[in-house]
Amino acid sequence: MPDTQNWWSTIAPAAPEMYLATVICVILLIDVFAGGSRRPRLTGTLTLIALAVGAWVTLEYGSVGGRTPLFGGLYIADPLALVLKLSALLYVAVALLYSRPALARRGTGGEYHVLALTALLGIYVLASAGNLLSLYIGVELLALSLYAMIAFDRESPVSAEAAMKYFVLGSIASGMLLYGISLVYGLTGTLALDEVALRLTAEPSLGMVAGVAFVVVAIAFKFGAVPFHMWVPDVYHGAPTTVTLFLSTAPKFAYFALAYRLLSQGLDGISPTWTQMLAIIGVLSLIVGNVFAIAQANLKRMLAYSAIANVGFILLGFTTGTAAGYSAALYYTIVYVLATLGAFGVILLASRRGFEADELEDYKGLQARDPMLALWMMMMMFSTAGVPPFVGFWAKLAIFEALWQVGAVWLIVIGALAAVVGAFYYIRVVKLMYFDDAPSAPRGEASGALRLVLGVNALATLALGVVPASLFDLCKAVLG
Amino acid sequence: MTLALIVLLPFLGSLCAAFLPANARNAEAWLAGVCALACTVLTLGLYPQIADDGVVRFVLPWLGQAGLAFSLRMDGFAWLFTLLVSLMGTLVVIYARYYLSPEDPVPRFFSFLLAFTGSMLGIVLSGNLVQLAIFWELTSFSSFMLIAYWYHRVDARHGARMALTVTAAGGFCLLAGVIMLGTMAGSFELDQVLAAAEAVQSHPWYPVMLVLVLLGALTKSAQFPFQFWLPHAMAAPTPVSAYLHSATMVKAGVFLLARLWPVLAGTDLWFAVVCGAGLASLLIGAAAALFQRDMKGVLAYSTVSHLGLITLLLGMNSRLALVAAVFHMMNHATFKATLFMAAGIVDHEAGTRDLRRLSGLAHAMPITATVAVVAAAAMAGVPLLNGFLSKEMFFAETIFAGDGLLLRVGLPAIATMAGAFSVAYSLRLIHQVFYGPLAQDLPRVPHEPTRWMLLPSMLLVAACLLVGIFPARTIGPVLALAVQSILGAETPPYSLVVWHGFTVPFLMSAIAFAGGIGLYLLRWFYGQRATGGAPLRAPFDGRRVFDIVIVVLHRVAERMVRFASSRRLQLQLLMMISMAFAVGAIPIATHGLARGAAGLTPVDPVYALVWIVGCVCAVGAAVQAKFHRLAALIMLGGAGLFTSLTFAWFSAPDLALTQVAVEVVTLVLLLLGLRWLPRRLDLDDPDRRTRRARLRRARDLALAVIVGAGLAALSFAVLTHAPVEGLAQFFVEHALPKGGGRNVVNVILVDFRGFDTLGEITVVSIVALTVYALLRRFRPAPESIDVPRAQRASIAESGIRAFNPGELLPGGDLRIPAVLVRLLLPMAGLVAVYLLLRGHDAPGGGFVGGLVMATAFITQYMVSGAQWVEWRMRVHPQYWVALGLTAAGGAGLLAWAAGRPFLASLGADVTLPLVGPVHLASVLLFDVGVYLVVIGATSLMLVSLAHQSFRSARESFARDGAGG
Repeated sequence: MPDTQNWWSTIAPAAPEMYLATVICVILLIDVFAGGSRRPRLTGTLTLIALAVGAWVTLEYGSVGGRTPLFGGLYIADPLALVLKLSALLYVAVALLYSRPALARRGTGGEYHVLALTALLGIYVLASAGNLLSLYIGVELLALSLYAMIAFDRESPVSAEAAMKYFVLGSIASGMLLYGISLVYGLTGTLALDEVALRLTAEPSLGMVAGVAFVVVAIAFKFGAVPFHMWVPDVYHGAPTTVTLFLSTAPKFAYFALAYRLLSQGLDGISPTWTQMLAIIGVLSLIVGNVFAIAQANLKRMLAYSAIANVGFILLGFTTGTAAGYSAALYYTIVYVLATLGAFGVILLASRRGFEADELEDYKGLQARDPMLALWMMMMMFSTAGVPPFVGFWAKLAIFEALWQVGAVWLIVIGALAAVVGAFYYIRVVKLMYFDDAPSAPRGEASGALRLVLGVNALATLALGVVPASLFDLCKAVLG
Repeated sequence: MTLALIVLLPFLGSLCAAFLPANARNAEAWLAGVCALACTVLTLGLYPQIADDGVVRFVLPWLGQAGLAFSLRMDGFAWLFTLLVSLMGTLVVIYARYYLSPEDPVPRFFSFLLAFTGSMLGIVLSGNLVQLAIFWELTSFSSFMLIAYWYHRVDARHGARMALTVTAAGGFCLLAGVIMLGTMAGSFELDQVLAAAEAVQSHPWYPVMLVLVLLGALTKSAQFPFQFWLPHAMAAPTPVSAYLHSATMVKAGVFLLARLWPVLAGTDLWFAVVCGAGLASLLIGAAAALFQRDMKGVLAYSTVSHLGLITLLLGMNSRLALVAAVFHMMNHATFKATLFMAAGIVDHEAGTRDLRRLSGLAHAMPITATVAVVAAAAMAGVPLLNGFLSKEMFFAETIFAGDGLLLRVGLPAIATMAGAFSVAYSLRLIHQVFYGPLAQDLPRVPHEPTRWMLLPSMLLVAACLLVGIFPARTIGPVLALAVQSILGAETPPYSLVVWHGFTVPFLMSAIAFAGGIGLYLLRWFYGQRATGGAPLRAPFDGRRVFDIVIVVLHRVAERMVRFASSRRLQLQLLMMISMAFAVGAIPIATHGLARGAAGLTPVDPVYALVWIVGCVCAVGAAVQAKFHRLAALIMLGGAGLFTSLTFAWFSAPDLALTQVAVEVVTLVLLLLGLRWLPRRLDLDDPDRRTRRARLRRARDLALAVIVGAGLAALSFAVLTHAPVEGLAQFFVEHALPKGGGRNVVNVILVDFRGFDTLGEITVVSIVALTVYALLRRFRPAPESIDVPRAQRASIAESGIRAFNPGELLPGGDLRIPAVLVRLLLPMAGLVAVYLLLRGHDAPGGGFVGGLVMATAFITQYMVSGAQWVEWRMRVHPQYWVALGLTAAGGAGLLAWAAGRPFLASLGADVTLPLVGPVHLASVLLFDVGVYLVVIGATSLMLVSLAHQSFRSARESFARDGAGG
């Protein structure tokens, strides 16, 4: 066709998604037909290579100057989407890297990697969604991949139970999202988010409030915010650690995109309705997450409650309804996920056959057994706790500043108190590692290269904390 | 640049120190010493510049968006503190080199010591408040690591944790406070903040901000009511105590108060809180120090007391008091560090710090004794020593502090009393440790330490003496510089001379001395018997509060977890559904659910009956689902049938047709699958009968009814409103002109929404393949492998086990049905093709056709058995699926080939022989694809299930054969 060039240029910004979809099929086929015992390893390596190329594709085609709608507005390429996609891709890659020894140990098949890629595709679709339908497709693509991943350890009843719970509850949440979307659609007569924003009336009708409420419920469920958080500890705990690692990192970007695209872009005109709901949900998450985390004996469960608490902070950023708040929330998400990635990375690297290293007890005296790992873990915990000069501190500060600008003092007070309580259990992990006597637990069997990656991950929390400007400015720029 | 170097050097040194080998004691000490010394020298080199220009700055861009720059700022006051921190650091490093034993892991010590030095310098030199708060937290953490240096000891861990919790939480408050302060002042830069006193003090949030900042400062300086952590931090190695707990870290609090004095001080609130805390600490510390058994305990409480004195001075809102406070900060640092070092030497040489065991050490270690005596005298405020000067200033200030009678009399009285206590505990420390007969039963034989270990304390004592005798010539200019940098032009005149004549302050000093000696004698007299803690201390002991807070937090968390979280899906679902219901119900409750204007359809009794039966079926299916699966399935089929009838009733024959076909096929497949489910476990759950369980079930029932009724009401409301202008009209209008078909549903499926259908049939194919793949490895539950009872009976009766694939017709009861069913097959095929072909214009289509055909296959399987059918089956279902997908995809590509968009409909009117004129469209090919896929997928699932049957049957028969 003569206008191939022209035609391509109109859809080029969606190249990352097309690339991912293609690569998923290719890897799946290779995994099916490549025989032998080295198959899972081969798929894993291929996936990492695919992700590396994917980073290039995303950067090359996804970086458009401004907001570029494609496919009749179903798909939107903008800097925010680029940042979200690149972060998700990076975190997925690192998560898979950390998971390699554990996956090899369990003899997990190559489908695992393919599922990770489809989940990533879901995140991509969500990040670029410009329409309620593409939004929903992204959500479901991600969710279905996650359900399967959680149930991956077929021999483990705990894992199956977790997957079942997540599936049942997740389906209900999806239903609510759809219901909310249908109300929004019914009252505005359009599925395109831009159009929705234009057609909103200043005083939202009753149906619209209900629609927003259902949407908020679904977002809160996806994020794992109180009172829709009950699945979080069970799933974090029940799923194999590799999956928990995956689940707790990259999807958060998708949920950020979900919240931002739906609420901040689509329903911006009636922001008072949902900011109030989010404020309540956020505060509850902060309190419940932080207080419940104290009583946990299992590190994965503790991190699950910590996730709930941190989601509370992210939602607080959304409650401002201002660009500063959204950029603070984005910054917080990136930063929090960075430290979570490292924390689960430590769990994976500290584990070995027959030793999951997921109880708090297992970390007693880690400093004596494996000083490097203990140091990295300490940095992750400090960063999550928000101790300066680690980057987590700036993230909390950014949220507080955004809240201060809109005069939400009571939210700041609650947030600050919650952060103090939160610091308690993060630092308890440090105390266990450094000050308690070591039981004779085995040492992890991870290779030197992975430890290096983990070290880089940990040092990143410090480096970004010492020089916070670049990342912070980036977040401001993409949401400006 | 120099400023940056001063802050950076210790951090770099810390990094290097961390990587030195564990036994490199000398190398570590050299490294740390050189770092600290370099800082000292650099600071000294800046003096001319400070003296001339007042302020030296260093600014780096940092967080431009938030209005923050990395800025270092040194004025006279900061210079003084920088010098104090770096010089004291140098001395402590020398001391620590000899104090630590070769077994101690030195890299950790020096690394954290240097990190602490750097953080402390960072606090002192910070040019903006946020940066200051960050360095503040850093000191908390590095001090935590230093206190916990001997982490194998319980008291070290405990003390470190407590110190960290208190100071880090305080630091957090400080951070919140300075952010508020910065927002009030409009900038975080210290210069702007200091100039914005009026704006800040008139701000409505000033009290909150002040309290937060003070919380930070008071926790750090171990002031009442947070004084409890300091004595516990004495578990740290003595060099750490000498450095952190006398000269630097605890001074950070009062440093901050002095730093922010121009902007915060001057209000009544400031006076009340700061003075109150200072006064309380002054007294409690002094009294408690008198009753300590541990040398370092005495020093810790005396530190609390002296810092209380400084805080009190800062709180008086008087410029002269500020001068006295700054002066006393310096003096206290020198003599307290000396005393700590002396205590360390005693501990090191004698093996104990217990005041009751030590005695007469002046005989064994005369130089140490001399040094300690001079330093203690300075602490007590003996003339000709530096402590005397600042104490006199303090006494003088107390006289003029307030207006009321209470303040005018009370404050000097309390000051004098505290002075007396100070004299008493200094005296006790010296007298008990160094005088009297030499103690005999000490763990080690005491003797003088190496000269190098004594050097730092000797230098500090020399400083005490020099300042005490020639104040104006030694400390004078520096102090003036420091005070001016805080107060600027408003610096009050003050005189630094040793002898002011017989003034009131001197009188107070004299009383204090007399009182102190008297107190000590009293204490000595009674104290020989009393061994407990200070009588005054108990009520003020915050340690218990701290422990209780931690324990309570834990308990509360555990209780909340037990109360408000559940791992049971049922409860979690309950939460979700109640939430959803609430979200939906609230708007309805406030605005009501209005019935629309649309009229109701008149009730037809027959139709109503159909529906009642349908509803009963549905409810029955739900009730029986858990107890009798077969019954539940049959009833489900009934409900489906009535749905189909409804469609037919409302003149939607195509929908009815499709629904019936779907019902039949799914029901059969489900029944086949049901065969392999494990038997229901009759768990005789004792909880089932309890009241609680009944209540729970009642609750669930109520919820189900309510939510269902809610949805029904909602649907009713929606349906009674005028229908929204949807897409229906468009499809009805354009089906014929654009899609070329009269059956709107079919046109939508194969044309308008062709892409969707393509996706759907792909999914159907995948599902079929998945069922096949999953069932291939499926191992049924052992109890369901056996041949069912009914079949057993039939076998016993007819003697025929399985239908032999070689025979044409089965024997026994099944012969007649088999004949009928076989005759049915070609007819069903014909009907299916007919439905397929006419689908575009009349009820029918590929989907229904495929289902009809599949039903015919299913009946073959049911009657003749899988083996017989497959013996004769020539086309395998997976080929049907593949062919179907290819046909559907090909129909789409055909359009592409003609230059139209994918799946666009191509049509042509042709005249076929025999048939006549026909409208042929590419959508027909597409529909054929759908038809093939549906047949293939359904049969594939069927095959998978059926194979299960004869595989298990074989096993079962084999087992029976072996057994019989």
